[in-house]
Amino acid sequence: MTAVAPPQAPPEPTTGVRRREDTRFLCGQGEYLGDVQRPDLKHIAILRSPLAHARIRDVDVSGALTLPGVIGAFTGAELAADTGTFSHHLEAIPTLRQLTWSVLATDKVRFVGEPVAAVVADSRYIAEDALELIEVDYEELPAVNDAEAALQADAPQLYEDWGDNVFLYIPGAHGDTEAAFEAADGVLTERFTHHRIIGLPMEGHGAMGEFDPATGRLEMYVSTQIPHQLRTVVSEITGLSETKIRIVAPDMGGGFGNKIHMFREEVLVAVLAMRVRHPVVWRQDRTESLTASVHSRQQTHKVEVAYRNDGRVLGLRADIIADVGSPELYILGSGPAIVTTAIIPNCYDLQDYAFELRCVATNKAHMGGYRGYGQGQAVFLIERVLDLLGEKLGIDPVTMRRVNMIPDGQRPYITATGAVLDCGSFHDQLTDLLEAADYDGACRERDEAREEDRLVGVGLAQMVEATAPNIHALAGQFGGYEMAMLAVQPDGKVTVVVGTKSQGQSHETVFAKVAADELGISPDDVTVSDGDTGVLPYGTGTWGSRSAVMGGGAIIKAARQVREKMVAIAAGLLDAPADQITVSDGFFRLGEAAIPFAQIAAAAYLHTFLLPPGMDPGLSVIVGYDSFSTSPFPDERGKLNVSPTYATAAAAAVVEVDRATGVVSVKDLTILHDCGTVMDRVVLDGQIHGAVMQAVGQTFLEELHYDENGQPLTTTLLDYTIPTFGDVVEPKIVHRETPSDLIGGYRGAGEGAIIVTPVALAAAVHDALKPLGVPITQANLSPPRLRDLLRGHSAA
Amino acid sequence: MKPPRFDYVAAGTVAEAVAALADAEDARVLAGGQSLVPLMNLRLARPSLLVDVNGVAALSGFEVRNGTLRFGAMCRHRFLETDPDVRERAPIVAETAGLIGHVHIRNRGTLGGSIAHADPVAELPALLVALGGQVVASSTAGERTIPAAELFEGPFTTSLEPSELLSAVEIPAHRQGDGGAFSEFVLRHGDFATAGVAVILHRDGSGTCDALRVAGCGLGPTPVDLSAAGEFLLGESALGSGAAEELGSRVAAAAEPTGDVHGSAKYRRELAAVLAADAVRRAWARAGSSDWSGRG
Amino acid sequence: MTGVRFSLNGEAAEVDVEPRELLLDTLRDRLAMTGTHAACEQGACGACTVLIDGNGVRSCLMFTVQVGGSEVRTIEGVGSPGSLHPIQQALSEHHGLQCGFCTPGIVLTALELFETDPHPSRQQIVEWMSGNLCRCTGYINIISALEALAGTAEARS
Repeated sequence: MTAVAPPQAPPEPTTGVRRREDTRFLCGQGEYLGDVQRPDLKHIAILRSPLAHARIRDVDVSGALTLPGVIGAFTGAELAADTGTFSHHLEAIPTLRQLTWSVLATDKVRFVGEPVAAVVADSRYIAEDALELIEVDYEELPAVNDAEAALQADAPQLYEDWGDNVFLYIPGAHGDTEAAFEAADGVLTERFTHHRIIGLPMEGHGAMGEFDPATGRLEMYVSTQIPHQLRTVVSEITGLSETKIRIVAPDMGGGFGNKIHMFREEVLVAVLAMRVRHPVVWRQDRTESLTASVHSRQQTHKVEVAYRNDGRVLGLRADIIADVGSPELYILGSGPAIVTTAIIPNCYDLQDYAFELRCVATNKAHMGGYRGYGQGQAVFLIERVLDLLGEKLGIDPVTMRRVNMIPDGQRPYITATGAVLDCGSFHDQLTDLLEAADYDGACRERDEAREEDRLVGVGLAQMVEATAPNIHALAGQFGGYEMAMLAVQPDGKVTVVVGTKSQGQSHETVFAKVAADELGISPDDVTVSDGDTGVLPYGTGTWGSRSAVMGGGAIIKAARQVREKMVAIAAGLLDAPADQITVSDGFFRLGEAAIPFAQIAAAAYLHTFLLPPGMDPGLSVIVGYDSFSTSPFPDERGKLNVSPTYATAAAAAVVEVDRATGVVSVKDLTILHDCGTVMDRVVLDGQIHGAVMQAVGQTFLEELHYDENGQPLTTTLLDYTIPTFGDVVEPKIVHRETPSDLIGGYRGAGEGAIIVTPVALAAAVHDALKPLGVPITQANLSPPRLRDLLRGHSAA
Repeated sequence: MKPPRFDYVAAGTVAEAVAALADAEDARVLAGGQSLVPLMNLRLARPSLLVDVNGVAALSGFEVRNGTLRFGAMCRHRFLETDPDVRERAPIVAETAGLIGHVHIRNRGTLGGSIAHADPVAELPALLVALGGQVVASSTAGERTIPAAELFEGPFTTSLEPSELLSAVEIPAHRQGDGGAFSEFVLRHGDFATAGVAVILHRDGSGTCDALRVAGCGLGPTPVDLSAAGEFLLGESALGSGAAEELGSRVAAAAEPTGDVHGSAKYRRELAAVLAADAVRRAWARAGSSDWSGRG
Repeated sequence: MTGVRFSLNGEAAEVDVEPRELLLDTLRDRLAMTGTHAACEQGACGACTVLIDGNGVRSCLMFTVQVGGSEVRTIEGVGSPGSLHPIQQALSEHHGLQCGFCTPGIVLTALELFETDPHPSRQQIVEWMSGNLCRCTGYINIISALEALAGTAEARS
């Protein structure tokens, strides 16, 4: 760890085209999934369950087959006969219910939107016409749409052989919580709730598949964050070798974690491409996206906190219920809830911590990934606990944090759950935040506003994020390493291919600079691509704030290997020891002598007689890069370090509440952000802007609704209301740069702001409502929900 | 998400349009399409025939007739919002049209289409009720007028016959001393209103309120006439302390909202109180101002 | 099937379509104008925005049979990689796009704005643009780009 760089002023915008990606996107020339065309492309439409819970007695597709333009119509039972099944690959977890499932439902449906049958037709129009001619005989069953209701003894059961609806149970006990509670001056008890939302990329999911029977090759284009792992799963289910499958993730209209799972529909496309012998495409429409992709966040926490009267938290017990909907999703949709349990100690010195996690199956769509991935709920819990406890004890929020913070100098600090924190000083970070936000001034202005009977509040929050994680414990067969290929071509231009698939994160631009810096050349001479399993043997995808850390690290590692060889060639040509050769501005230099980069490249491929004796020709490497500092599975004490490094952030928010309408105006938001070495400040700030906006949406605008029968009520973008231009909150962003010890010094970015902002906003709303005595213990602060809280308070 | 098959007729005249409607079962008029087409894409509406009236020139524009303003049904929201003549002669119409959706919705959406669609949360049906206006229904049998009070029967349901085309909308011409305001609560700019309240009133030469009408959207199964809640203000020459809030309370009590994902019934009642108070304050001030142009 | 002729980015286009075919699909699947993006098909996001006779519309809410005789302009008719429109240039300079999926709709909506008023205020920009959803940028840099353009340059096509 090296010194912390001072906060920088935001850079001036440069002129010209900022990113490689921009020109094609601005001109409508990106190639997204829906733009992939093939002659004779056929369209898939999927018949989905209209019922939340039912047994399938019979599916009759004969009517659909009579419609002109229909190529085929398929039932789940028919496809299951010669197709493999999905599983979670987590046989090692004894408290996880082992499940297998097929590309279409076969015996039962468990949520509205579950795929039941599929049609292939000349157009999507005809395919949808044909869906109306399929007859399904359902035996409707009682549905349960709420996790706590699903835990009742008489609740309808999604899987009769389970005996209850608990899909996954994980207990954890770290330190000695009993002793902590015995030693405590008091115990605080709270309950926190998180509502159901969705990541919602603007481009929905989709897949195109084309099978060539002559070669036995399957080519797919899929809008996925994880093309290589998807290939593995397609191989498992279709029986095709991975050598026969190429998956390309083309330009993507966002992902945000919504596309980190292997969807039934994606594998269905592979299966149907092999059956109908036409190229086929499924383009998820927005109702399918809202009702049958993955939802996120919904959890309920009951927490008991043992405290000392000076504000120190001695021990904490959390009972966490996650409403995971249908659990038939790989990668495990309960992953975020597991992460929640690991992150709760956050940046605080809390070693006596115990939890119980129950992931409960309900008759709703799958729970799964969304930016933040369970960490926001953890941070919400501990940050709210500190404020509520501080209020009870008469201790201000800053002191509450300082009293409990992990002390400076103790690095790495190993948390109760086993995270090996390599972060900088939390105290200094908080100091910087308070200064950047003018916290004292904001508190004074709040006090003045209160004098005028205005509901103004100030809130603080901090977070530690487990970035670039190893996910063996959530996915069984997939870890956290990365691969990159780097080739210097004969003309001296450089090709980089990396396994981290961009969904808008500017990888073509920023990774070109990363490689160029290592090679001493201009980024203009580097071309970066990603997302094609036909080019790179494997990759782990873009999620978990991992692309800079692992993708960037892999590229640097590859570039260093190639550079070393180029230096050896240059040393031979200059007749000097390699350690005297320097590389800069496109030249290999020894004193005044300089050989152009391209000349070394030419020597490696063309004028190979110039190479040192015995040196193999060529300048290319494929590297795998692992930090070797993470663990795949918990140890016998349940401790697990999932991440090679940890990013940190803190936020301060000032809000004003309109008591009549429940509308919250965010007056000020400051984000203090430490992702280690910053690759590109403008791109980084852009990601923080987006994450803040999503946090604002999550807190004030967005909620997925189901009725008591499990019917989804938010099926269009008129009902599921994501933020638009009028909802902009422009944060003040301050960067600390505490490089990690990993290659490149990166810690990972992209998620910190969505993890830390919601609870900062909640704290500010709580503070604003303090004169009314309305505590905030829920993540959903939409105007109607806030009015629900205010109603009944006479002063409100 | 693709619409089911339908037949299509592009009408050039009102006569052609009503003839097509008369001949078909399950025909629907295609005006701006901003509400109908999403429903068709979702296959929640499945007309057998669409009668496109976008090419019927006679359904555009507006004129003054015997103290009433008559708007062609195909007046687009954007026209109502920006046309200088509309802004001067019917400022409340221009202002309310500007509240609808986003600019691209307003570029296509039409006055007649919005009213005939009868969405209980839409602005223009509520405004029509507040203004005490009426619509003209055309069919092969001729024309009839339907007062707003008799038009709206339920959510998305009007007393128009399937064979009738809503061809024009009539409202009283703006007079000296008129004041109106439409206040609504939207979660995001451009959303349908969670609730909205229109107040239309008149103050005579001495400033005394001699007419006051109130209507709401999002406050019942149809646009609701809440004028009775405002009767206590008739004869008043000033909006006294607490009077706007009193109207708000009465409007909230009279409203019969239902809950949905955008807000519970209780929440909508609370909004109604706030919105009615805001609307009456603005309308009252405008009625007392000599040059209310809809911008004030 | 109905024959429909219209002008597409200044060139004659002719298609034979069912009445139910959405303009969005005709543009994308028959005429290869894939810069017009399908993101909701419910008229709620603005990704499929095109200009018809200069007016912005959602092409998912128009049937192709309705555009006979009209001038349709898509993103492909705004700027080209060698010659970006000032709006496109400004969005790039200010990093007003990330994944790029909503970007064509943003460009066309802004184009109509600047043709209506070359110097819109921030508030006008926000209100005018609010029918176009973006999930990446938080809108901040889009607004900055358009504000800069409103203050410093004409954005006439």
